[in-house]
Amino acid sequence: MDRDDLQRSYALLGLTSDANLREVETAYRQLRELFDEASLATYSLLDYADRQEKLESLQIAFDVITQSRICPLPQDEPPVTSDTGTVCDPRTTPGLHLQQHRERLGLSLQDVAERTKIGIYHLRNIEAQNCDKLPANVYLRGFVREFARTVSVEDVDAVVDGFMAISRQPTESN
Amino acid sequence: MTVTDQQEGQQHRPRIWAIGGGKGGVGKSVIASGLAMSLAARGERCILFDADLGGANLHTFVGMPNPQRTISDLFRRAAATLDDILLPTPFPNLSLISGARAQLDMANPAWLQKVKLIRQLTILPADHIFIDLGAGSSFNMLDFFLAAQNGLLVLMPTPTAIENTYHFLKASYYRRLRSVIRHLEAEDLVDAALATKVQNGVRSPRELLLDLQQRDPQVAQRLQRAMARFTPKLVVNQVQRSEDRELGAKMVIACRDFFGIDMGEPALIRNDERVLVALKSRRPVLEMFPGGPFAEDIRRLLALMLPAKEASHGQR
Repeated sequence: MDRDDLQRSYALLGLTSDANLREVETAYRQLRELFDEASLATYSLLDYADRQEKLESLQIAFDVITQSRICPLPQDEPPVTSDTGTVCDPRTTPGLHLQQHRERLGLSLQDVAERTKIGIYHLRNIEAQNCDKLPANVYLRGFVREFARTVSVEDVDAVVDGFMAISRQPTESN
Repeated sequence: MTVTDQQEGQQHRPRIWAIGGGKGGVGKSVIASGLAMSLAARGERCILFDADLGGANLHTFVGMPNPQRTISDLFRRAAATLDDILLPTPFPNLSLISGARAQLDMANPAWLQKVKLIRQLTILPADHIFIDLGAGSSFNMLDFFLAAQNGLLVLMPTPTAIENTYHFLKASYYRRLRSVIRHLEAEDLVDAALATKVQNGVRSPRELLLDLQQRDPQVAQRLQRAMARFTPKLVVNQVQRSEDRELGAKMVIACRDFFGIDMGEPALIRNDERVLVALKSRRPVLEMFPGGPFAEDIRRLLALMLPAKEASHGQR
């Protein structure tokens, strides 16, 4: 994977490289829907093979972008955004941090759900950092802690702090 | 006449609109006549041109059951020019070129005849000419469509109409592209790009232009600039549900992705029972129900197509 691939991936999703992860996910989901076999809006625009190829290229673009956020490309130029160098940080992108650890252990979200007894709906939203769908802070704190322990995160507190920072609800102390 | 028209001087040419879309019965004629009546009522000189040869009925939409002169007179040389068969309608500022009584073999006029027709259209004494195209994507329909400054693609939110719309869009896009390529003498370049189509993953016009960019940036840029002017407006008719409303916007995104063209905001025309009521009483919808949803949406479509003019009307 090189920088051009990454640029192309953003362009394919109609984004620029400063898009945040939620924007990436939303764009990916909407385009998948648009080019889905069942979509009325693209009915007959593409034949079966082209449609499959289109969907695959969207999938690849999404994977390329999310991968680059987990393991950023070596920088030959000074970083464009201030947080480029710290994307692996559990405080800045705690959701990806959890996902990375879970995948390293070869666990599915279902596996984590069974071990932690936390609903897969919440686990998915936590990993995707879907701020508006996260449970109340009082639950979120416990869920994240359980999740992080189960996937062997070293600095559990950092991940918890990271989520408290991105959660838009008022914290308990307020 | 508006102030801008006077500024442009006497030699100003009519703006040509083409209302197409491939599918029959989606509302092309009622929309064409609605647009023309609406602008005529504002004092703009409008001509409706029924290009649905073989299935012409635009005269009925403007309350003229029996047009005296039609385009068939032109084809059998009973009239010399389009000007001679121009008919006044019961409405001020609105004239009609009827396609009635055209024989079936006239439905496909020879190439030279068509070129002459298009040239005559551009010198007719009018501010706006609305060409109501028939169904299908024949070369005649495409050439009238491509000759227009304002191309409208009318569809209903149904799979069959969408299918015909995409077919019409692809056919007209490629016809325009082919003529631009010929004009730039870039046939060899494009052939080379198409020959390696599979290995380079060229699946759509947009990807073809990207591929050409690698081969010859200069030609690619000129091609791109010429094709960027191809921006027909999507008109979704008989909109009822929220999915129908979103359909147009989604198709615009899909076309940007596929063709690399920006068609802008799609126009929506709500489902309005009054249209059928007016049609059955053989009177124009806009005359019978000037305040109804259909009339309102026609005015919104006009505002979308003539934004500068709208703004200047407001200011002056």
